[in-house]
Amino acid sequence: MTGIGIDITEVKRIQEISLRHKEFLTRVYTPREIEFCARKRNKYQHLAARFAAKESVLKALGTGWSGRIDWTDVEVVNDRWGRPAVNTHGRVKEIVKERRIKKILISLSHCQEYAVAFAQIVR
Amino acid sequence: MDDKEISEKVRMCTAQALGLDVEEVVPDAILFDDLGAESLDLLDIVFRLEKTFGIQIPRGGIQSSVLASEDVKEEDLVKDGILTPLGIERLRKEMPEINPDRIPEGFRAEDAATLFTVQTFVNLTKRHLAAKEGKGT
Repeated sequence: MTGIGIDITEVKRIQEISLRHKEFLTRVYTPREIEFCARKRNKYQHLAARFAAKESVLKALGTGWSGRIDWTDVEVVNDRWGRPAVNTHGRVKEIVKERRIKKILISLSHCQEYAVAFAQIVR
Repeated sequence: MDDKEISEKVRMCTAQALGLDVEEVVPDAILFDDLGAESLDLLDIVFRLEKTFGIQIPRGGIQSSVLASEDVKEEDLVKDGILTPLGIERLRKEMPEINPDRIPEGFRAEDAATLFTVQTFVNLTKRHLAAKEGKGT
């Protein structure tokens, strides 16, 4: 069985919540993701795309119920060509191993107002 | 802090996060369907509750008590993303504020957040406050 997941996130909402709650960034993003986005001129678009990516991966895995998953368990990294890829940690990494998932594919897109992500589980 | 005060503060946090009047945020209002919340709003509410009550709520903490039990494995509650009969029974028991008809056979685990009502957050806050005060859950 494979799975797909999609999510759309409003860039303005990410900006608002990250300015209102200082803990938002560290609770949701890994240090590597925060550093990557901080270097971008349109950093909130990149943060929104990564939030959408985390949601889409968790949807694809169908794990919305598990209480042991942290937002940082799904990390978006960029390969040497700048293409996004998914790294897993913690409970999500365990799930990937248990289900013999070979790879999680991710595609991101964003504009000034919205960011979208699409994830696919490959077995 | 008594139950009424907790409930009022939770309603206030929810109203502020969603940009609503507190009168609209009644205990049985469903966050997504009735109040127009999105997943990011749930995080906003959680952060406000943490600050207001001095507690820490992990992601998934709302349902974690269902899975926290040591007498049952997670795979006995959810299979291929769908709640098992035991999972349905547990969720209905742990979330008495939810109409059981909203957790039917074939309910997908990832849709659990669509069930949440204002009272879900009141109960969650009470559990975390009780744990903080060493009373257990």
